[in-house]
Amino acid sequence: MDFPQNMSMEEAFAQAEAEAKLNQALSESKARFENAVLPNRLNEDWRFGRPHKYATALAELLRSDKPSQGEAKVEHAGEAAVPVSADDDDLRRTEMLMPTIGSDALLGMHLERFGSGYALYIEEDTKKPIRIEYTTTGLFTSSTFIMVAPGVTAEVVEIHRGEGDTACMFATRNIQVAEGAKLKILHHSAHMERYMCITNIQNMGGQVVQLTRHDTHDWAREETVAEIYAPESDIQLYSSNLPRNGVLDLHTKQIHHAGGATSNLLYKNVVYEGATAIFAGNIFVAPGAHHTDAYQSNRNMLLSEKATVHSLPGLEILADKVRCSHGSASSGVDEQQLFYLLSRGIPREEAIGLLAYGFEKDVIEKYERA
Amino acid sequence: MSLIIKDLSARVKDGAQILNGINLEIPKGEVHAIMGPNGSGKSTLSKVLCGHPDYEVISGTAELDGQDLFAMSVDERSRAGLFLAFQYPVEVPGVTNANFMRAALQARLPKGEELDAVSFYKTMRAKMAALGMDTKFTARAVNEGFSGGEKKRNDILQMMMLEPSYAILDETDSGLDVDALRIVSDGVNAMRAPFRSFLVITHYKRLLDYIKPDVVHVLYKGRIVRTAGYEIVEHIEQNGFDFLKAEE
Repeated sequence: MDFPQNMSMEEAFAQAEAEAKLNQALSESKARFENAVLPNRLNEDWRFGRPHKYATALAELLRSDKPSQGEAKVEHAGEAAVPVSADDDDLRRTEMLMPTIGSDALLGMHLERFGSGYALYIEEDTKKPIRIEYTTTGLFTSSTFIMVAPGVTAEVVEIHRGEGDTACMFATRNIQVAEGAKLKILHHSAHMERYMCITNIQNMGGQVVQLTRHDTHDWAREETVAEIYAPESDIQLYSSNLPRNGVLDLHTKQIHHAGGATSNLLYKNVVYEGATAIFAGNIFVAPGAHHTDAYQSNRNMLLSEKATVHSLPGLEILADKVRCSHGSASSGVDEQQLFYLLSRGIPREEAIGLLAYGFEKDVIEKYERA
Repeated sequence: MSLIIKDLSARVKDGAQILNGINLEIPKGEVHAIMGPNGSGKSTLSKVLCGHPDYEVISGTAELDGQDLFAMSVDERSRAGLFLAFQYPVEVPGVTNANFMRAALQARLPKGEELDAVSFYKTMRAKMAALGMDTKFTARAVNEGFSGGEKKRNDILQMMMLEPSYAILDETDSGLDVDALRIVSDGVNAMRAPFRSFLVITHYKRLLDYIKPDVVHVLYKGRIVRTAGYEIVEHIEQNGFDFLKAEE
């Protein structure tokens, strides 16, 4: 091993150890992709998610020689944005190491197509929200990386949009937030026949507030793994959706590796006739991560007897001194509220729209206030 | 032009029959009051007229200016000119008072016509001031976290905004302190007009001291058993409803 001149023995050993760890993680990660099988009925993380239909269809597209078709744009980023390229080993490694919720095989296929998107190295407060927009008419795989430097306050808007009837997008997003940094991210996806997004948040003592909204997809799956690595970290995950048809499949993990930190999740769906919404969330508190405050809530409003909701909140706590709670509530439209609106002459469809908007509103307000 | 109810019987959906053949005619320009002991069917009558889904009409008819009320949906009845001030106004989280009223007024405009937002807010603020309501209430969710009195005022505000031809006030006085009662009553009195009628449901004389009715009906066991002038209010205030039992 070569020791650089300006490095002490101790530092050199630490660096060597870090490199060894990284190499091991990478080789394990490689094995994970090699051994991964496509999501199937036996995969608990795809429960109710019809993997034989949707995961298989996405895999077929990713394996095909269909070229990536789409556009990536970034605005208000100044010097912070760099287009990602397949040659960037650091970013590639980051994506290789990102956790999924039952979709390693699909992530492996995404890696094979690595190469579209932006990396944001945010080292100054953003004056206007940085806006990233990916648009596709066919198949598009995107990778976004957001790194926020210590003490920096940033806001990012990420839009994923399909055009035409057969748009398919598979996006990944890796977020790293340093100590004292604050990131607000608004993520909106719309109009896709197939849509999947895997997000990994690594919080080293800052704050991350994320709001996701997925509109008018035939099938959409979100996997968000939010990890806390340092005390004083705060993660707030919000989602507000109004699926009108198809399947909306939402999966989250709030992982507290370190104690003395907080995470909060509120996912709300208004589910129209013929649509299915799935929420599966888990709070994991690692051994020794004491003084963790973690909450998780999924609420659904069903607008028809033909609307379907599956809600699977979960907790896994391996530390003693924690405050955690999780909950789920699903119901139809409140008949008394609806009657009140109708009794003032508001037509039924509009009244239901107002109630649905009202139901979702507090999620959006929580994001705006954060 | 009247609200005419003929031989109306109704029950709680899949439950007990509450109204047993009500006959009532409220001509335009008049204020009628309905009094009666607890459980006599006063609130049921108001809800049945507005089309509440918890109740079903067994027989009878109701006409609003010649239109068959029961053939209309709840929202159509409102747009046809019927208004109910609720005994317990409902909280609607996430929907602001302003958006609520805008949607209700917009629904009354011909297709393609847009509500003028500036004059809407101007009107709403003026009517709120008349009712002693803080204009901050425009941006608050409908009745959410409101006190009992604030909810009642909010219902009266809605009535003043929608300017119905027939307004039913279901125990609007309950939960109001003396000052609020006077303000709300002033609001109602200001709306009295030859082209508008009121049906005031109450247990107490004090509301009818402010809103003087032209006719008073007594409802008992789902039927109108007396129709008289204001003098019966005094009688009920002093003697209660025992005279009804004695007549059974």
